[in-house]
Amino acid sequence: MKLRTELTKIWAFAARSLLVNRRNVFAVFEMFFWPGVAIFSVGLLTRFLKLDPETVTFVLIGAVAMNTIQIAQLDLSYSLLYDVWSKSLKHGFIAPINLGHVLVGAGLVGLVRGALVFVVMGLLSMWLFGMDLSRPGAGGLAFFLLGLFLNAAIIGVLVLALVLRFGHRAEVAAWAFSYLLLLLCGLYYPVSVLPPGIRELAELIPLTYFLDHFRHFYGFPLITPHALGYGFALTGLYLGVSYALLLYTLRSARRRGTLLKLSE
Amino acid sequence: MRSQAGAWEREFEFSGKGVLPRAFSVRLPMEPVIVAQGLVKSYRTGWFGARKTVLEQVDLEVPAGSIFGILGPNGAGKTTLISILTTLLIPDEGEARVLGLDVVRQAQRLRARINLAASSAHFLWCLTVEENLRFCGRLYGLSGGVLRKKVEELLHLFELSPHRRVKFENLSTGLKQRLALAKTLVNDPELLFLDEPTTGLDPIMAQHLREEILRLNRETGLTILLTTHNLREAEMLCREVAFLKDGRLLARGGIKELQAGLGLGDHLLLTFTDGPAPLDYARLPGVLAHRRDGRRLEMILDRAEVRLAPILHALEQAGAGVAEVRVKEVDLEELYREITH
Repeated sequence: MKLRTELTKIWAFAARSLLVNRRNVFAVFEMFFWPGVAIFSVGLLTRFLKLDPETVTFVLIGAVAMNTIQIAQLDLSYSLLYDVWSKSLKHGFIAPINLGHVLVGAGLVGLVRGALVFVVMGLLSMWLFGMDLSRPGAGGLAFFLLGLFLNAAIIGVLVLALVLRFGHRAEVAAWAFSYLLLLLCGLYYPVSVLPPGIRELAELIPLTYFLDHFRHFYGFPLITPHALGYGFALTGLYLGVSYALLLYTLRSARRRGTLLKLSE
Repeated sequence: MRSQAGAWEREFEFSGKGVLPRAFSVRLPMEPVIVAQGLVKSYRTGWFGARKTVLEQVDLEVPAGSIFGILGPNGAGKTTLISILTTLLIPDEGEARVLGLDVVRQAQRLRARINLAASSAHFLWCLTVEENLRFCGRLYGLSGGVLRKKVEELLHLFELSPHRRVKFENLSTGLKQRLALAKTLVNDPELLFLDEPTTGLDPIMAQHLREEILRLNRETGLTILLTTHNLREAEMLCREVAFLKDGRLLARGGIKELQAGLGLGDHLLLTFTDGPAPLDYARLPGVLAHRRDGRRLEMILDRAEVRLAPILHALEQAGAGVAEVRVKEVDLEELYREITH
């Protein structure tokens, strides 16, 4: 009975996210238009630069990863932003729910949307630019996708913490921050080309290791041995820290009256 | 405000500056569903600004089964108080127990048993009436047939069925407010908080909503705590009220008792054609005080709408010619003035 209650609360946020996405024409743009544009522009650029097929794959993996993460984290970030925009934040926080319900519910929809984007971009990359998505095998693909989703979760949770602290003013800064992280982790280039100092920063980002591991299936040497292990360890650490930060921010919001201000 | 456990009589105490303590005895059930002691809340303005105290040592007890009003002007601290009691805000000092649960330490358990309608109804704009109710029901763990039945019940109860597929953004203000009230019953709460529930509604809709609140309390025994700055609304709905101003609780009791205790009432101003009739005005029903000024007579009545007709009849019987009748209802500000000075 208790499990059913918990699942229902999670479903509340998942169902709401699905409904909003269904009614929002821009959700289709987010899922298909921009990722499509990204694949076309990056793919055509590689063609213009006459890059060899391996390098084309290297760059396309970056484009696929970036768009998958961006879409997957949107549902998490929006889960509270919907309430902030509609000034209905009180409804959620006066009910007997916790942040876990919000994160898992909205995160599930993000996961589905992210997976769709991954598949669509992968298929476009295969069809238009000859990228062989099947080469890493089911296991390689699954671990890479899992890594992308967990990184999306970290970004989403951090955005939520910023939203609870600063309101919707935080969203632009939060997403700018997430783009910066994505650029640092070597999306379109190996991290070895980054200047010293910045390269060390890249090593602190889990996505760096997931990209490193996935690209080695395409013949690129592993920069870090046990990259997958490092990636998951760092991801676990950051997820824990960002969730703790979110919990602290919520408590602080209850103390500072931010929940009320965001509902006015 | 203290009560003796087990007693059936309550003393109303006035803590307002300059008000003589008076006692009234009325029968009220003495099982408080809200017990707050020494609540203090302050906010910092800006990053380095000074702290502004919004609630100052507020004590409150609300008996079960009643409609209890918190009255006060804008900025008095009503919403802050209600937000603490509904676990949306953590107090700086003091403690509050609602339905026997601590609002900070046992907040999650408490949330399952209460609900709140805020002063302005806000829901997700692109969801329909039914979808918004379903979402809120799921937040309380309702699913399947139970959720369907509850949503249907609420749609019917608040006459929202014809609007069930209308998106929230397309609803009128009145319908939005009805949806807000419907949402508060989704979890069958034992205690309902209504923060200025009729704000922004037209008089007819406001009256309809008040009747709905009364009906809820009468038929289900639901305890309701509401905030308002409308004295008439409080008078119609609340058995007891507490006055809040500048974060301080100034007085509490029944409105009529408070009003009578302070000698306040509606003002009836009569202008006679040939001077006031030779009547003992003090003995007329409902007259709290009177004053003659030439051809004019000013009376303070406990309820003008009830007393006006018999008084005019008495004057007619006495052969007095009345040229002008003016009624000014006692307002909240008047009560405040009396309580605070």
